[in-house]
Amino acid sequence: MKAADLVDSSFGTIGRRIFWDPAIYELELERVFARSWLFVAHESQIEEPGAFVTTYMAQDSVIVARADDGAINVFLNSCPHRGNRVCFADSGKGRAFTCNYHGWAFGLDGALKKMPKMGLYKSTPGFRMEDWGLRRARVASYKGLVFATFCEEAPSLEQWLGDFRWYLDAVLDVEDGGTEFLPGGATRSVMRCNWKFPADNFVGDIYHALWTHLGGAEPTLGRHGGVIVENEGSYQVSVNGHGWEFNDSFFGNAATMGDRELLRYMRSRQEAITARLGDFRSKMWGSVASATIFPNFSFLPGYFTFRTFQPKGPTTTEIHAWTLVPKNMPDDIKDRFRRGSMRTFSPSGILEMDDGENWEHSTSANAGWVTRNQKLCYAMAPAGEVERDDLPGEVTAGQLSDANQRLFYKRWAEMMDAESWADIPTAGSDARYSEAAE
Amino acid sequence: MSTALDRKPDYSAFPRLSLEEARAAAADLLAMKGAGAPVEGQMLGRIERFYRQEARILDEERYEDWYDLLADDLFYWMPLRENRFRRDSRSELDPDSMAFFDESKADIAVRIGRLKSNLVWTEDPPTRHVYIVSNVEAFETGVDGEFETHHVFTQYRNRSEHDEATLFGRRRDLIRAVDDGFQIVRRLILLPQSVLLTKNLSVFF
Repeated sequence: MKAADLVDSSFGTIGRRIFWDPAIYELELERVFARSWLFVAHESQIEEPGAFVTTYMAQDSVIVARADDGAINVFLNSCPHRGNRVCFADSGKGRAFTCNYHGWAFGLDGALKKMPKMGLYKSTPGFRMEDWGLRRARVASYKGLVFATFCEEAPSLEQWLGDFRWYLDAVLDVEDGGTEFLPGGATRSVMRCNWKFPADNFVGDIYHALWTHLGGAEPTLGRHGGVIVENEGSYQVSVNGHGWEFNDSFFGNAATMGDRELLRYMRSRQEAITARLGDFRSKMWGSVASATIFPNFSFLPGYFTFRTFQPKGPTTTEIHAWTLVPKNMPDDIKDRFRRGSMRTFSPSGILEMDDGENWEHSTSANAGWVTRNQKLCYAMAPAGEVERDDLPGEVTAGQLSDANQRLFYKRWAEMMDAESWADIPTAGSDARYSEAAE
Repeated sequence: MSTALDRKPDYSAFPRLSLEEARAAAADLLAMKGAGAPVEGQMLGRIERFYRQEARILDEERYEDWYDLLADDLFYWMPLRENRFRRDSRSELDPDSMAFFDESKADIAVRIGRLKSNLVWTEDPPTRHVYIVSNVEAFETGVDGEFETHHVFTQYRNRSEHDEATLFGRRRDLIRAVDDGFQIVRRLILLPQSVLLTKNLSVFF
């Protein structure tokens, strides 16, 4: 199987087997997820030494822990002795992680520290404590977001994100003091869909909102004229498979939360954000937009829900979601974002509730052999000139387009077919944007 | 039947708690441990009948009738659940934390407005519901006509062909006697799932 045979990224067709076939899924775990930088935590979740969260890198359970020296370590949550899961808490604080099975204990860096009756091992020829820690991943952060990979060959996180960082600053760097996740852990739910449907939805599908979300948007927006989605003043941008579709409405997404106080606050911030990021990026902060950091980490400006689409098999996906706000935002405004993002984009949210059934049935229809061997149409490419030459990445005029989704699947196919990282192309960074992102 | 929801309303004018009022209501719910005198006999029977009626109204998707069972000072809360070690000193149920529901009556009205729009494709054809309410206990609160109740529920949903979800949970209510029954003033809904094992909560609890 060559993935490239199932993905035509120039016109835009996708073979439906990639959303169903268990063999393709197994290869994704190896070639896409195990070679990608994956989001694991926000630094604010583990501020103190000893603080930890557990999460998943694809189907690998990992612990993300803050060491005494402030470093963040990420390591497998599976004991190298008999393989049992080591930590069963979602979050907490401690000095060691002790396996329930035989009591092997590991430090905040994953190193094996001790076990019951250590003398048995001390007198075992060839046994060395340093050989049997929890396997550690490479870890790097970008403006509060912590990523990890177990792949030694992968380029740096800076190269992986490339000039997409310049766009990310429109949500991660709108004021001094950085950002945080609102407290209380992840909102988690299960969908019986392939992980790529939600990831491709967020990378560049605003088109669905015009139909899927009619009901959800009606009570909060109907009366006020609705959100405008047009290809005037809107874009799709893509770097290394990461993508963001957006318009220049500044708070178009936020408006659907139906909280006028919140919009008043956002408006009061516009001048300062424009001074900081320039006119173009400032308008992205809360605009009608969605984004995916390849392969499965997505967010929505305006609601500021950040989420991973955790693969749990070819037809099961777990959504883990958090809400990100600037740390220095007033507490009552943070609370309005907490409630606003919950009421729109959570399993009880009036917009998210519209999405799940679409993705589930886009997946389950492929049980049919004939159906599975059809192609899906990702061809939308309305002609439109990009009038600016000062934007990084592959830029398409108009947010109503399948451009980012085609580039997402192009990237996916490149990783699926590449024997090694040397065969995976990575966009170079333009110094103009990487300096701005520092 | 409520007339307030019959035409497209201005939800900003609907009953809404301030942040402080919501926090106080959450604290009250967390403190409700069944410490008051137990309610017995006829009054307990009336309370149980109220919950049976509420379950039937929800099963029949009579959302406006259900809306009328909510007091204007409603606080309606379903916090997230997290797996934490027993030694963890943080309170698991914290009003500052993310939640599945954290609502005033106005927010419920928006949800009903969505369902009433006839534009919610994922509820068309409709979902079929069965609610079972059990283990009802009621306690005096010290306020005349207001009762603290604790009970459990099973909420079964089926739609389309194989699409189903069963949710078990425990509720803690403050209810207030009104002319022809009761109104729900505060409701804490505790699902035992830390990962919601279904795709949505397109249902009222």
